[in-house]
Amino acid sequence: MAMDVVDYEIFGNEMQYVEVELDPGEAAIGEAGAMMYMQDGIEMDTVFGDGSQQGGFFGKVLGAGKRLLTGEGLFTTIFHNEGRGKRRVAFAAPYPGKIIPVQLSGIGGTLICQKDAFLCAAKGVSLGIAFQKKLGVGLFGGEGFIMQKLEGDGLAFVHAGGTLKELVLSPGESLRIDTGCIVAFQPTVDFDIKYVGKVKSAIFGGEGLFFATLTGPGKVWLQSLPLSRLANRIILSAPAAGGRSVGQGSVLGAGILGGILGGSDD
Amino acid sequence: MTPFPARLFGPQLPGSGVAVTGVWQEDDRLQIVSPEQEWSATNLSITASGFNAQGIKISWQDDRGEYVLFIDDVIARDLCLAGAPALYAPQLQRAGREKSSVERRFRCGWAVLSGLLVIPVLLIVLLLLKQDVVANWLIQHIPVQQEARIGDMVLSRSRLSMQLIESGPSVEALARIGAKLTTNSPHRYRWFVANQKEINAFAAPGGVVVVNAGLLHAVSSPEELAGVLAHEIAHAELRHSLKGIAKSLGLRALVSLALGDYGGTALAEGLKKVTELGFSREAEREADLEGLRRLVAAGIDPQGMVRFFELLEKEQQLTPPEFLSTHPANTERIAALKREIALLPQDWQPLEIDLAILRSGLPQL
Repeated sequence: MAMDVVDYEIFGNEMQYVEVELDPGEAAIGEAGAMMYMQDGIEMDTVFGDGSQQGGFFGKVLGAGKRLLTGEGLFTTIFHNEGRGKRRVAFAAPYPGKIIPVQLSGIGGTLICQKDAFLCAAKGVSLGIAFQKKLGVGLFGGEGFIMQKLEGDGLAFVHAGGTLKELVLSPGESLRIDTGCIVAFQPTVDFDIKYVGKVKSAIFGGEGLFFATLTGPGKVWLQSLPLSRLANRIILSAPAAGGRSVGQGSVLGAGILGGILGGSDD
Repeated sequence: MTPFPARLFGPQLPGSGVAVTGVWQEDDRLQIVSPEQEWSATNLSITASGFNAQGIKISWQDDRGEYVLFIDDVIARDLCLAGAPALYAPQLQRAGREKSSVERRFRCGWAVLSGLLVIPVLLIVLLLLKQDVVANWLIQHIPVQQEARIGDMVLSRSRLSMQLIESGPSVEALARIGAKLTTNSPHRYRWFVANQKEINAFAAPGGVVVVNAGLLHAVSSPEELAGVLAHEIAHAELRHSLKGIAKSLGLRALVSLALGDYGGTALAEGLKKVTELGFSREAEREADLEGLRRLVAAGIDPQGMVRFFELLEKEQQLTPPEFLSTHPANTERIAALKREIALLPQDWQPLEIDLAILRSGLPQL
């Protein structure tokens, strides 16, 4: 299937959205609910599956089932430009983090990414599921057994939490990564796990029992703040869960005094 | 040799690699061609690598550094394998084994996991399908002492609804006949006469047998009374009323019984029903035969049992006695009993019980 070439612009710093420019007749697919705004002339179409299946009914059902497994919706929304000139449609990231554009043709046509990472793509990119078949990695690698596979040769936008780092691993170069921080990698990269090394570190080190390791060659993308970690900290400091509401009490109350005495524990 | 598409990584190449084509040469070298450049590789080391070890990684060193040729497309992989020189066959085989071992372990893992999920479901389904079998098994495992406790509970309930006579000549007579019929029984039998005029008797779990005064007035010989008692004892010995509880309450109550939990309301509900419970035809037939066996073992004339059933039949034509609502008497059962009795030797010792004395303590109904 021919890929649509799209131009794009990313706005914002920590809470970004991407604006995609579509030529007449071009289309983009978006994660359900990610659309932020669209200009006149852009038509929205909701299709079962990911819009790349050419097969019959069963192909579509299978595609939709796979989307459910990777945490996406059953339906994909296709935004196509039915107007005369260039039109824009924007997709917003669902939580603080960065949006990274990945030109799939530049990396060999396939990108493995953590589930939920997909934001939007040029029409023709297919969203598949990549089963993590190494049991140890599936259990302790932090990404689970189900990952997402983006295939095609168009542009895809992937989103993850915190700051995103694109790294190039040369052949044989290996990187130890905290589990959960891997966003995406080229399929040429070897994803494995490694025991932290010492019993003491395993128990008290706070990094868990295993590191994820990525071994080159290939490109990898890492996130500094997985959403689950952010959510954890927010819940821990929520007043309902026993967190302190620093700076909101009266002068006489525990607010300021407690804040001064208690210091900051973050 | 057929060229195959691959991706090359190495010094002075983009980090995400470049698309190239590889061709095996006659002299065991690997020729790699990109639109701009050409490489000729030798001294290769081949491993399975990449995501899920699905790709083939061919690496070699030259003076500029380490190069890696990565093949992950299935077709390209086959082309590469087909053209590979014999020199690299062992390495390629090892790579193939590594890939398949990852997949095999993955399948094993899923099989174990799905097994763990499916087995409990299967067990539950089996339990539901085989509820009767499970119930019977559980009933066999309720200890005698606990059965006696259930009997006590039934008894205390019965006291609320009827007046029980616990001593006197009638109860003594019942105990005397009963003792003959319950030799070697694990239960401690207790005999009661209820101040009720209906012709009925019931056996609660754990050896509690209650005979209505009406029945004692209706029988015309001690053997008939023995026949009724034998039938009721058979119900108790065969744990029919426990099975009845099981059927009306389901397994929940039984499990609590087997575990010795008597606090549950489910059990109380079930006990209320015990006395008014009818048994299945099957259970009745079973009790008839077991009762007959006990009569014979005690040397009591089983014709009494038959005569009692005939008496019931006669009564039934006048007013349907209560006994019949819980004990469906019919000609078929009588005929079956007669057939069995015909096969038996006919020397019986008469029961030394005077019905007049037996009835002397009873209230006039």
